[in-house]
Amino acid sequence: MNPILECNGLTKTFGPKKALSDINLKIGQGQIVGLLGPNGSGKTTLIKIATALLTPSSGEIQISGMKPGLGTKKIVSYLPEKNYLNDWMRVRDIIGMFKDFYEDFSPEKACDMLKRLNISADDRLKTLSKGTKEKVQLILVMSREAKLYLLDEPIGGVDPAARDYILETIIGNYNPEATVLISTHLIYDVEKILDHVIFINEGRLVLSSSVDEIREQGESVDGLFREVFRC
Amino acid sequence: MPWELKPDRPIYAQLVEHIVQMILSGVYPPGSKLPSVRDLAKEASVNPNTMQRALAMLEEDGLIITHRTSGRSITEDSEMIRKTRTRIARDQVSEFLEKMQKLGFEKEEILSIITEMIKEVRG
Amino acid sequence: MLGKLIKYELKATGRTFLPLYAALLVFAAVTKLTYLLSDSGDNIPAVISLILYIIILTGMFVMTFVVMIQRFYKNLLSDEGYLMFTLPVETWKHITSKLLVSVIWNIGSIAAAILSIVILSIDDIISGEMKTELSIDIAGSTTALALFELILACIAGMVFGILIIYASIAWGHLSKRHRIMASIGAFLALATFSQIMFFCFTVMPVAKALQERGDILYIGLDRSLTIYHWFMWILIAFLVILSALFFAITNYVLNRELNLE
Repeated sequence: MNPILECNGLTKTFGPKKALSDINLKIGQGQIVGLLGPNGSGKTTLIKIATALLTPSSGEIQISGMKPGLGTKKIVSYLPEKNYLNDWMRVRDIIGMFKDFYEDFSPEKACDMLKRLNISADDRLKTLSKGTKEKVQLILVMSREAKLYLLDEPIGGVDPAARDYILETIIGNYNPEATVLISTHLIYDVEKILDHVIFINEGRLVLSSSVDEIREQGESVDGLFREVFRC
Repeated sequence: MPWELKPDRPIYAQLVEHIVQMILSGVYPPGSKLPSVRDLAKEASVNPNTMQRALAMLEEDGLIITHRTSGRSITEDSEMIRKTRTRIARDQVSEFLEKMQKLGFEKEEILSIITEMIKEVRG
Repeated sequence: MLGKLIKYELKATGRTFLPLYAALLVFAAVTKLTYLLSDSGDNIPAVISLILYIIILTGMFVMTFVVMIQRFYKNLLSDEGYLMFTLPVETWKHITSKLLVSVIWNIGSIAAAILSIVILSIDDIISGEMKTELSIDIAGSTTALALFELILACIAGMVFGILIIYASIAWGHLSKRHRIMASIGAFLALATFSQIMFFCFTVMPVAKALQERGDILYIGLDRSLTIYHWFMWILIAFLVILSALFFAITNYVLNRELNLE
């Protein structure tokens, strides 16, 4: 089976700083993968390159066999850390916009999820709380039938109940033809739903392993992480 | 409500135990239908792949049967269930005995403590 | 996809401009009415209305300029860029949609201004006074062509002005900090470059042509028209070529050197 995401010698420099050094990895379909590392380790850089928001300095990256571009944008669903919603729109408008631009977007699914959270389609995005806006973004992202979901810190800065909701949504949305890549530094909460983890530090790949392999050594991923990244 | 899962053991193994417990305690009686993999995974708050793996193991062990068209159900083979029940009991006891012996207890001591405490439980 | 981008761009900006246009026309009408309905002498309401009208008029043109910059910067290069650039749409379509909508509002503002002036002088127009003043000698197709060239040049000038700003913002985006300063610097560089090019390729050839064709004082109507046509088309070509250059710069930066915070 073709890997959904493949990197070969991927490097990204910003001036003198090497954000990513020689990353080699392969991620298959139907996996929920954790991209784990401390802040500033290169997780967001890697994700941005996969979404074509940044261009690599050297090396290559392929998504479903394609270089990041128009074709990959159609099959990649990205949830950034930031809030990217246009202020002036109502919930209804942003759903319409996703429907207009993404063939794989399901407005029914989105509306259903919004209703369960008591978010009305007529609400102005400007008036929503930060937490609610994040949930709206998550719903928009998960309402697409994408091949690769890239979630950058989806549970950081969110209350525990919301965190559970987010993890449930990710599980409930699971599809054996799609892969979910979750980047986070909050490993404990997210461990149980991961198939595979990638540790990254200072732009380098430190470890790539299935969660079962780690636990069979009698250790949690969280525990291993603390060991590996001990200050 | 997510199931109780320890962080330092493989999840699929814990899921197997959890489901067996549910079978033995009657939450999933013999012959009853199991929810879909995805629903179970959601309930347990785990990765559907992991849940799938656990169910596959249970199927190998014969506790779960997959029907081509109607999903999974618990076996109706009561002999099988009884055997599993016994096996789990023996596992628990042997773990307990090992621990007690490590603490330096003799067999007669262990037995007398158990006999005493069991009376209290029933009462 | 381009159409959809234009739709959303119009939606985002229409909320600003349409009320402004309405307010402009309303105050023009109010000014006119308060002027007509009162006796000559102290006409405070009309004066107030006129002042408000002028404020709105100025504000409208300022907004046209500000919104053009703000839409480009905010929607593409700040947080909203995370949404826009992950849409499965080519970069040039983003630039084009914003360009087109900016041109639309530029034309719209001019049209609104003209309409408001018509309202302010409606009685003079009706009575035919303005007509005589504004009457143009319609000499047939030559004047129509000249007018067409003028309008084309104005639109080309608009496009040029918008694209030089986009290119400056994009170029400025390349610097890590002080992006605003960098953009201003880029603008000065591009503007200077444009001026030099303008001089070399527009003014000089025309001046040279005038020289070759003899003393400027003896140029009759025919010849000055030809020179006018010639100059206009060179000007339009110049504006189009530089616009294409600025478009290419903007497109390149947004495609390969994007670096959203």
